[in-house]
Amino acid sequence: MTAFQHIWDPWLIGPFLWLAGISGMTAVAYVLLKWSGVEEKRRELSWVTFISLALALVFVVADLSRPWNMPSAIMSAVFGGTFGWTRSWMAVGIVLLLVMLVLALLVALRHTGAGALRPLVDARWYDALLLLMGVAVTIYSGFLIAAAPGVPFWNTALIPVLWIISASVCATAVVKLLVHSEAVSKVATRYSLALDAAELLAVFALINLALYGGSRAARASAEALAYGELAAPFWIGVVALGILAPLFIGLYLAKRENKYLATTAAVLALIGALLLRVLVLQAGVFEMPI
Amino acid sequence: MRLAHLWDQSRCVACGACIAACNAANYRSSTGENKTWGWLRSNIKRITVERGIRPMLLLVQCQHCDNAPCVTVCPTGASYKDADGLVKIKPELCIGCKYCMVACPYEARWLDKETGLPMKCMGEECVSRVKAGLRPVCVEVCPAGARAFGDIDDPMSEISRRLARSRYVRLLEEKGTSPKYFVVVGP
Repeated sequence: MTAFQHIWDPWLIGPFLWLAGISGMTAVAYVLLKWSGVEEKRRELSWVTFISLALALVFVVADLSRPWNMPSAIMSAVFGGTFGWTRSWMAVGIVLLLVMLVLALLVALRHTGAGALRPLVDARWYDALLLLMGVAVTIYSGFLIAAAPGVPFWNTALIPVLWIISASVCATAVVKLLVHSEAVSKVATRYSLALDAAELLAVFALINLALYGGSRAARASAEALAYGELAAPFWIGVVALGILAPLFIGLYLAKRENKYLATTAAVLALIGALLLRVLVLQAGVFEMPI
Repeated sequence: MRLAHLWDQSRCVACGACIAACNAANYRSSTGENKTWGWLRSNIKRITVERGIRPMLLLVQCQHCDNAPCVTVCPTGASYKDADGLVKIKPELCIGCKYCMVACPYEARWLDKETGLPMKCMGEECVSRVKAGLRPVCVEVCPAGARAFGDIDDPMSEISRRLARSRYVRLLEEKGTSPKYFVVVGP
């Protein structure tokens, strides 16, 4: 039996990373739709961004072993000069998530009757800031685990790249679920196809490099996913249902749009992205010091 | 000053006295669980390799790295490197994110479920012993003289003298952590 890490709960941190990615990239999608002049479902999309982030915070706080100490510890660290502004991805994340939470809430409120917010939220600079923060939050969700040298399988530059591709898949899926405009659906289908293909390549690279790389622990993680204890959920859940099925459905949709198939593909892509994060976290193995 | 640990693999008789003493001194002989390691509440864990080229025993604990990943990743500065070179924890700054635990390549930290704090060498008792000029309990109780502790910047310290006359390795040096836990493998 492989000795997987039990420090971070994959079913708490996995959903956290997934929701943070959804929030980040749906914010990007919101801005792109706005810049393209698409009005349909922008209000719903803004709420998806905000609620995903709020839920992400619930999941990450649920994994803390000293949550009651968080407010005072963070305040003491900030005012005591020990907060890891540029040192720790966790600290960077705390700042990014809080700023993003406020930005997303203002956008959602602007679409829900708070007309006074329009001059602020409708400004071009606000869009640019939201877009940048969305990308930053998504990238952060990758670097958070990639910057942990204790677990070699995570400690690779591929993770942030895979995470941003996968979060983009999720955002496109959310757009497909919400928007009914045929023109937008067609563009989303084309994006999905490219992103699914890129995700497949990135997953293949992650497993392959670990299988043939120098770290025994990373190899053990990749073996568990490729043909070990985690192979069934990995191949069936992540690769077959989460990437290949949406990819093939997308190929069909590129010729003829079908709302039911598009919905199926979007839901499968979302579940696949969640499962990918959970399994990557679960497959973490520490290096033997011998 | 850079305080460091030495463990002489060639002298160790695997009696477990250091492990038990750590449990007794730092955790009041608690029989509670250390679920992280599947081990007792002690800051030293025993790793055995039975099916390798030769049977091998390794005692692993916090390496008090000069370039400690646990210190780098800690968002609040709860994990920090003290002026004496030891890596320590300020409980009042810890939020329990466990980032230090996944960042440590040696898996040298375990979670105390009661306090939510990551635990590691040195425990509270040993820190106060060192402050008072005494040796950590694991060094004190070792019947085989397999352990030493002291300042590696002082060439006259016991640890420096033993290192000077021994062959030693440091664990997972390729990780770039500059560990200060020296494993002596022979004279």
